[in-house]
Amino acid sequence: MKTTLLLLTSKIISIKNSITLNAFLKRFPFIFIGLIFWVLFYSGTYKVLNFIRDMGFFGEILSKKLLSITFFSLSIFLILSNIITALSSFYMSKDIPFLMSKPIKIKEILRLKTIETISSSSWMVISFIPPFFIAYGVSYNAPFRFYLMLILTFIPFLLIAGGIGITAAHLLTRIFSMKKLRLSLLATGLFLFLSLYLLVRSQWSISPESPERFFNAMLNIKTDSPLMPSFWITEFVMPFLKRQTPDTSYLLLILCGGVFMLILSGLIGNRLYSNNIERIQPSIKHGIKAGTEGFYPGDKMAFLWKDVKTFFRDAGQWSQLFIISALIFIYIYNFRTLPLKTLSEIFPFMKEFMVLINMLMAGLVLSAVSARFLYSSISLEGMAFWIIRTSPVTVKKLLRAKFLYGFIPVTVILLAVVFITNIAMGTDHLLMLLSGVTIFILCISISGLGTGMGAMYPRFRYENIASISTSPGGMLFMLFAFSVVLLTVSLEAWSFYSYKKAVLSGSATSYMQIGQLVTAGILIITLNSLAFFIPMKMGKKRLEEDLSV
Amino acid sequence: MIILDKVSKSFNGKWAVKGLDLRVDKGEVFGLLGPNAAGKTTTIRMMTGLLRPTEGKILIGGYDIVKEPIKAKSIFGYVPDKAFLYEKLKGREFLKFIASIHGIEKSTAIKRIDELLVLFGIKEIEEELIESYSQGMRQRLLFLSALIHNPQVLLIDEPFVGLDPFGVMMIKDMIRRLRLEGVTIFLATHSLHIAEELCERVGLISKGSLISIKNKEEITTEGGLEKLFLKINS
Repeated sequence: MKTTLLLLTSKIISIKNSITLNAFLKRFPFIFIGLIFWVLFYSGTYKVLNFIRDMGFFGEILSKKLLSITFFSLSIFLILSNIITALSSFYMSKDIPFLMSKPIKIKEILRLKTIETISSSSWMVISFIPPFFIAYGVSYNAPFRFYLMLILTFIPFLLIAGGIGITAAHLLTRIFSMKKLRLSLLATGLFLFLSLYLLVRSQWSISPESPERFFNAMLNIKTDSPLMPSFWITEFVMPFLKRQTPDTSYLLLILCGGVFMLILSGLIGNRLYSNNIERIQPSIKHGIKAGTEGFYPGDKMAFLWKDVKTFFRDAGQWSQLFIISALIFIYIYNFRTLPLKTLSEIFPFMKEFMVLINMLMAGLVLSAVSARFLYSSISLEGMAFWIIRTSPVTVKKLLRAKFLYGFIPVTVILLAVVFITNIAMGTDHLLMLLSGVTIFILCISISGLGTGMGAMYPRFRYENIASISTSPGGMLFMLFAFSVVLLTVSLEAWSFYSYKKAVLSGSATSYMQIGQLVTAGILIITLNSLAFFIPMKMGKKRLEEDLSV
Repeated sequence: MIILDKVSKSFNGKWAVKGLDLRVDKGEVFGLLGPNAAGKTTTIRMMTGLLRPTEGKILIGGYDIVKEPIKAKSIFGYVPDKAFLYEKLKGREFLKFIASIHGIEKSTAIKRIDELLVLFGIKEIEEELIESYSQGMRQRLLFLSALIHNPQVLLIDEPFVGLDPFGVMMIKDMIRRLRLEGVTIFLATHSLHIAEELCERVGLISKGSLISIKNKEEITTEGGLEKLFLKINS
């Protein structure tokens, strides 16, 4: 245990050293956004809760159900997150060779990695969930005991999920190779997520006519098995809200569960870890000879060819496509199920409005996809970036290649999405053309923005690929990207609304309206050009500076 | 072939290299020798264009590395001390990529790759992903990639890191052969016997400054590199 603490101290000191005033100032915008999220989440939960509780006895049941569903969802999320983090932390982390070569017992390494896994899997939940529980506490006017007991039970709740996740990671590594393992895990996760989504979506067709159907559907979701930690924590915490005496056996269950799962993961780790580490080492298969020469890229295609090859071989890179595909699937599915016909009979301009919303949503998807394909593309060169820097190629050429590498798939995906959703909504030709052209322009500018900003804030020393797009620079890119999308769509809406109004009223288009159309067009082109060129130029300048890797 | 004219480099106000003046002729093997943190890697990184000199200029084959980087980079090959490569490319693919960005035509590139793969003894593993290569194999691949475009200048930082005795012998032979072909070789090392064995002239660097430059005869008459090395560090 002494060694574990010693090892942990070095990690804590590293974190301490990285907390500087400069780092705080850099992260300040994100802290501010986080605080806004807290306020919104709190007020949203508070309002929903009060609305539900106003329904009397039925409302109280629903309120408890909501708490139980939340704990249930959190436990599923935490288990999956712990499995993925444990795989990285126990088996792929860069400090493993160092730790294994030192006179440290396996037990100590396992303890260290367990702490690392549980803390890095739980921090996100710990950061975003408090407003939800505070809203509960305030709504019920709960005593201080509620918050205290919630913390006391939430810690073992996190430990149970951590223990399950770590145990599963050890067992899965035993069964599969690392490559197949991550893949099968992601595929299973995605399958589970989509199945759950479709199941819930089919039960919750929320329509204004049938709110009771929504509540019935909610009550029918089975999250109340007495074998689940989410059930124990709900049963223990809920009475505190109502100032009643809870059943302490649930407290004992959850505390013992936490300890038991930690011991179990330790025992399984002790048994499997050394062997698993040996199994996942890459090895050479001697004697494989080259067949035909295959494609020779030529200097113009070299970067594209290299990036495409690397992309398909690195499961860490292309597995993110699963998540993006899931997003797109849900997005298209939602549009297909919208009751547009009925709505457009009630509201004029409904179809046009939905096309604009569609473009906005597509822009959001574009920003997310670009964060993966374009923003990360320079950082993915990693520690091998010296190869490019010492080669007779200009940074401009490199950026152009990176732009093309992301722009082509992003544009194909986005145009397909917009086309499919527009068809699903029965959009006319003019709107179809307008949204197609808009998305194409946005694809160019956002791709340029992503490539340029990725070059401005490169992270050549990354632990995992996802950390590139979730870095402060990545978040800033998302913010800028979405602002460009929002402004472009707003300008279009402004001019289109005025044009459509003139058409519907039967009056001839005035000079004012034509002027408005032209201004909007010029502004859109200027905005998107700036979004493309400025970051590209700044990124080029940054990459030409001293290379510190 | 290589000119360093009053080259200095500072990081956050601290001088890593100060006032380096140096000339290396065509076909010469020059060694930059110094203890750890003497400024060897910084010097070589400035010569490759990875770092910009704070003061002074560097000419490779007559091209200024800051003003004409593309021309300069097209005539040198660089072997760094740490072999970070594209892990998900196969050895042969990596070489094709390097040949491509040097603008080498396909048939010439393929012929050259095949020759060098055999010469460096890694033909057997050319179709394996680089992530599975040992340190020594990576080092060989690095050398190979630096030679693919027939460079006029070869810049090497710690040339024998991770190589087995057979690999070391092979690289030594290669350096001698390249010298005979007129290739200029600049190597930075802290290994005394390598500098003594391979280099015609050795520059001794300490705390970022060049202390002295000695040729083979001077080194011998002054009691060998070990003595000189100890002198600069005392």
